Amino acid sequence: MLQIKPILSTLMRNKSGPILLLIQIILSVAIVANASFIISERIALMDRDSGTAEDQVFNFRLYTFDTNIDLESQIQRDIRAIRDLPGVIDASTTSMVPLSGGGWSSGYTVGSSEETAKDTEGAAIYYGDEHIVNSLGVELIEGRNFYEEEILTGSPDLATHGIVSKAFAKETWGDEPAIGQIMYAGDFGEMPIKIIGVVDKLQGAWVNSSYLDNSVILNIQLVNVFTKVLVRAEVGTLAQLKEAIPATLHKDNRNRVIEGFTLISEHRKRVYRNHELMATVLSMMVVLLLLITSLGLAGMVMFNIERRTKQIGTRRALGAKKRDIISFFLVENYIICLVGGVIGGFVAVLLGQQLMSLYSLPQLDLIYPLMTVAGLIVLTTIAVILPARKAARISPAIATRSV
Amino acid sequence: MFFYYLDLAWRSIKKTPLMSLLMVLAISIGIGITITTLNVYQLMSENPAGERSDKLVAVQLWSQGKDAWKEFNNQLTYQDAYNLRKSDVPVRQTAMFITGLALQTEDPDFVPLLESVRVTDSDFFDMFSVPFIYGKAWDKGVDTEALYQVVINEVLNKQLFSGEDSIGKTLYLDSKPYQIVGVTKTWSPSPLYFDVTTGAFKDSAQIFVPFSLAPIEEFQSWGNNQSWKRESINNYSQRLNSEMHWIQFWAEVQDDKQRDEYAQWLKRYVEQQQLIGRFDSPEAAAQLSNVAQWLELNEVVPEDNKILVGLSALFLVVCLVNMLGLLLAKFLKRAPEIGVRRAIGASRAQIFSQHMVEVGLIGFGGGVLGLVWAWVSLSLLSSRFDLEQSLTHLDTSMWLIAPVIAIFAALVAGTYPALRICSTNPSVHLKSQ
Repeated sequence: MLQIKPILSTLMRNKSGPILLLIQIILSVAIVANASFIISERIALMDRDSGTAEDQVFNFRLYTFDTNIDLESQIQRDIRAIRDLPGVIDASTTSMVPLSGGGWSSGYTVGSSEETAKDTEGAAIYYGDEHIVNSLGVELIEGRNFYEEEILTGSPDLATHGIVSKAFAKETWGDEPAIGQIMYAGDFGEMPIKIIGVVDKLQGAWVNSSYLDNSVILNIQLVNVFTKVLVRAEVGTLAQLKEAIPATLHKDNRNRVIEGFTLISEHRKRVYRNHELMATVLSMMVVLLLLITSLGLAGMVMFNIERRTKQIGTRRALGAKKRDIISFFLVENYIICLVGGVIGGFVAVLLGQQLMSLYSLPQLDLIYPLMTVAGLIVLTTIAVILPARKAARISPAIATRSV
Repeated sequence: MFFYYLDLAWRSIKKTPLMSLLMVLAISIGIGITITTLNVYQLMSENPAGERSDKLVAVQLWSQGKDAWKEFNNQLTYQDAYNLRKSDVPVRQTAMFITGLALQTEDPDFVPLLESVRVTDSDFFDMFSVPFIYGKAWDKGVDTEALYQVVINEVLNKQLFSGEDSIGKTLYLDSKPYQIVGVTKTWSPSPLYFDVTTGAFKDSAQIFVPFSLAPIEEFQSWGNNQSWKRESINNYSQRLNSEMHWIQFWAEVQDDKQRDEYAQWLKRYVEQQQLIGRFDSPEAAAQLSNVAQWLELNEVVPEDNKILVGLSALFLVVCLVNMLGLLLAKFLKRAPEIGVRRAIGASRAQIFSQHMVEVGLIGFGGGVLGLVWAWVSLSLLSSRFDLEQSLTHLDTSMWLIAPVIAIFAALVAGTYPALRICSTNPSVHLKSQ
């Protein structure tokens, strides 16, 4: 019914055209499958949630170069003044900013005795006061926040209480409750930190690290000439706070530089920029490749129609319906597509393996070549039907003419 | 003859405008994509040190303990940098890191600026060929006996002193007065090979101060600070004596002989440090890399770019196969005409070259159009992603590379169809007429 045999013999009679089409389809499947795999992988990376209120939280840098002041009370005054500004929900000093690409990280020692002690995975370390949880907009799901009197000022080594992210708690203590556990900032027994709370999700600063979801918040207000300040404010108030915060702080003491106001959502854009760039360029490639393949195919079909005008006219004269003519071209295309798809699938896997061995890419998922072949079949159907309709209109009378 | 073929080719292209357009489009898109990725790749992998690449070497030391990092860190500890500076083997050498300081002038109304500052030695400027407009680097003596001297760049000089010769004037960094000794021309090699720790495609710092001031002024490090050892660092002197890696170190050697000599010197240094209980890993060693090796080592060209160049080359192949198919169809359709030409005396070689000229013309069109695509896509990408200028300007070499690749690729793709057509037997076609 599908007239596969006559189609095959047509294909065999003039091999070079179909072979070229076959090569094109094989390469297209290999490229498109791998490219769309990389694209979807990058999109999945970019979709991860940082756990914070990204549109509300911003940070800025505060650099005090006045040496004749008590830095500690200066910073505390500054933070209080910021919290009182209209639009501000909360504010805290911090050691790092989520998704910003720079910050602090470390592993800790856990265990019940010196012999069984082991190192944890790395975790991002946020030093802040009792306002940092609210300033980040993260959700506390177990335990409690720091009390005001638990906050210590000065050096990071003093930390005694910690709030950890759920991912870090699970990785470190498994199903045991994290609340009440002790971990050590030094070797076993040195600088103990008691876990008092767990937040649902809080990411660190490095989106390509393997421990992005591991975070620890410690009860220290850092006192340093360079201070990072985290502010959570109503959406849309940043533009006005950008003016109000320096004005307020400069009124208190002029000898500092205040700059670098950045929303976490902007950090996100910047830190994922390369992934987004890769996804965009590859998508561009996929679209253009499919376009070129279908245009090329349409061109070939047009040419074939012209060459086969007499043959088509004869077939029409012998009783073939218009439908049959179109299906002839379609089946011809499907045969090439399927053969090309199968070989292209293999080539795609080979190419994927090559990329995997050379670069840090995961193994190609088989669904991608399959999807690509399916997509190509749909696309080539359109590319074939449009010119083939013209072929179907060829009058049977053409067969009776000699030229 | 060439121009006659060109005329024939142009007529043939005009006869089938749609098909010709398709072919030019196919090749131009392939070229456009390839040139886009190639351009970014080339700009990233450029070796900005040029012929000095072999003379400049980055020093790395495996100073970490037994179970620590499994590779050389790309920076040194302060104590190692301090000791290495005493070596008299290299011609020049410099330790450095980046910091940030508040900048003020003698004008009280000047709003303080936070500027990134490179803390380095006097040799830095000669080693990395920094051009000066006014003055020069601080004296070599300052590298051991610290003085509050500073080198600024042209842009900052324009901003602060409206571009005048500012040698001898004073500016304030963190409220301390520094005397200006030199003003450099705007100079920003890309990649910023001597410090790739915080991104290789940033602009170079605008202010340079002596490294010898670091222990006195306690400059904070704005770069990467990496520790393998758990030690408590609460003040600057603990930092200077720690095992934390945060200093970049480069040396300049005259030739390979001196490089070997320096490697020997470093080997002895490692052994000497082992005697006092440091460098306790069995793998403890020193490693020297010239600029080319250094760029390779630090993977300045990201993997993504290599993948993109590879995929776009495959893309170009698809475009060529596409074009090959179309050409074949087109040429074979013209077989009767060729039969007549052959019958009245055109040789095979003539037919072949006639078609190759046509193919070359299509390739040229594709190359030119491809350049336009590349320019469009680069400017779209740079505005959409706010990329560094140094990565998205269309390199001048591409003006030549694009048409050459396009014509060459088109000729390769056109060879088979042209061969097919010139080997047709004239009598077959003459008969059917």
